[in-house]
Amino acid sequence: MSQFSVLLQKEWRENVRNYKIFWIPVVFILFGIMEPVINYFLPQILDSVGGLPEGAVLEIPTPTPEQILVAVTGQYQFIGMLALILAYMGTVAGERKSGTATLLYVRPLSFSAYFLSKWLMASLIALLSLWLGLLAAYYYTLLLFDTVNFADFLRFAATYSVWVVLIVSIVLAASAALPNAGMAAAVSLGSVLLMQLVDGLIGAYWSVSPLKIPVYAASWLNGRIDLVDFWISIGLVAVVIALLLIAGIWASRLNASKAKV
Amino acid sequence: MDQPTLLLLLLPVILIQLGLMIFTLVDLMRNPKPNGPKWMWGLVIVLVNIIGPILYLVIGRRNY
Repeated sequence: MSQFSVLLQKEWRENVRNYKIFWIPVVFILFGIMEPVINYFLPQILDSVGGLPEGAVLEIPTPTPEQILVAVTGQYQFIGMLALILAYMGTVAGERKSGTATLLYVRPLSFSAYFLSKWLMASLIALLSLWLGLLAAYYYTLLLFDTVNFADFLRFAATYSVWVVLIVSIVLAASAALPNAGMAAAVSLGSVLLMQLVDGLIGAYWSVSPLKIPVYAASWLNGRIDLVDFWISIGLVAVVIALLLIAGIWASRLNASKAKV
Repeated sequence: MDQPTLLLLLLPVILIQLGLMIFTLVDLMRNPKPNGPKWMWGLVIVLVNIIGPILYLVIGRRNY
């Protein structure tokens, strides 16, 4: 346990020194603010961009505040995921390449403490960023549109958090299993996008799937949620995350010998 | 909505962007060995919105 806390402190220091603790929240907050603002000013933006003939009347229905929040997670689905993947692609692979790993691997290291400390720190930072971003989005939606039931918002954010933890687990497992950071990023981005594509195309045929977590998060706001399906999906995600963690620990032990000296 | 309120609404966004840009530029100037020419990173940080500074922090900075 003491090894775990030492490694956790190392991760914390690393995340502060390479500024990840600052810029990941900044990305989430920026996109959280921009979505409601852009939606609010959409008529003016269309007006000033021009291209419409004189006297054209455009009726854009005002989106509901719930739709805005869902649109924010729509942004996070791509840009947020990209930020997380870029930030954490090198967590294990980069350490092997830079030689930091040799400093650790020559010691009697518990690989589960090693991998789990990385996972915990990455997840905490990702969740902090997500919550700050969503709260910013909530505040701006409140200012510009209307109130959203705060309890619903909390359920929505909590459900989406599960998805973010899943993404972090995928990136870290890929980083442990693959030889370099670039490949880890490519594989995790590819798998996340492919999963979303598959679910988008034929997802209508099943209602229980780890891929449906963002959809479930959104349905807390619409008020249409099937609780049984929801909890089964959450359980499935927990199993998948546990499997990814075991695979990550196993892969980081297996690849320890590939560390560059 | 009139112009001053609009500005007030966008102020946090502008401040965050400017802060990120200045922070990254200072880091670039003090960085002894960035991954690529310094002037190129300077242009990327200043000209590419949001993504520029982050690209520098992720790949330009050489974290090791």
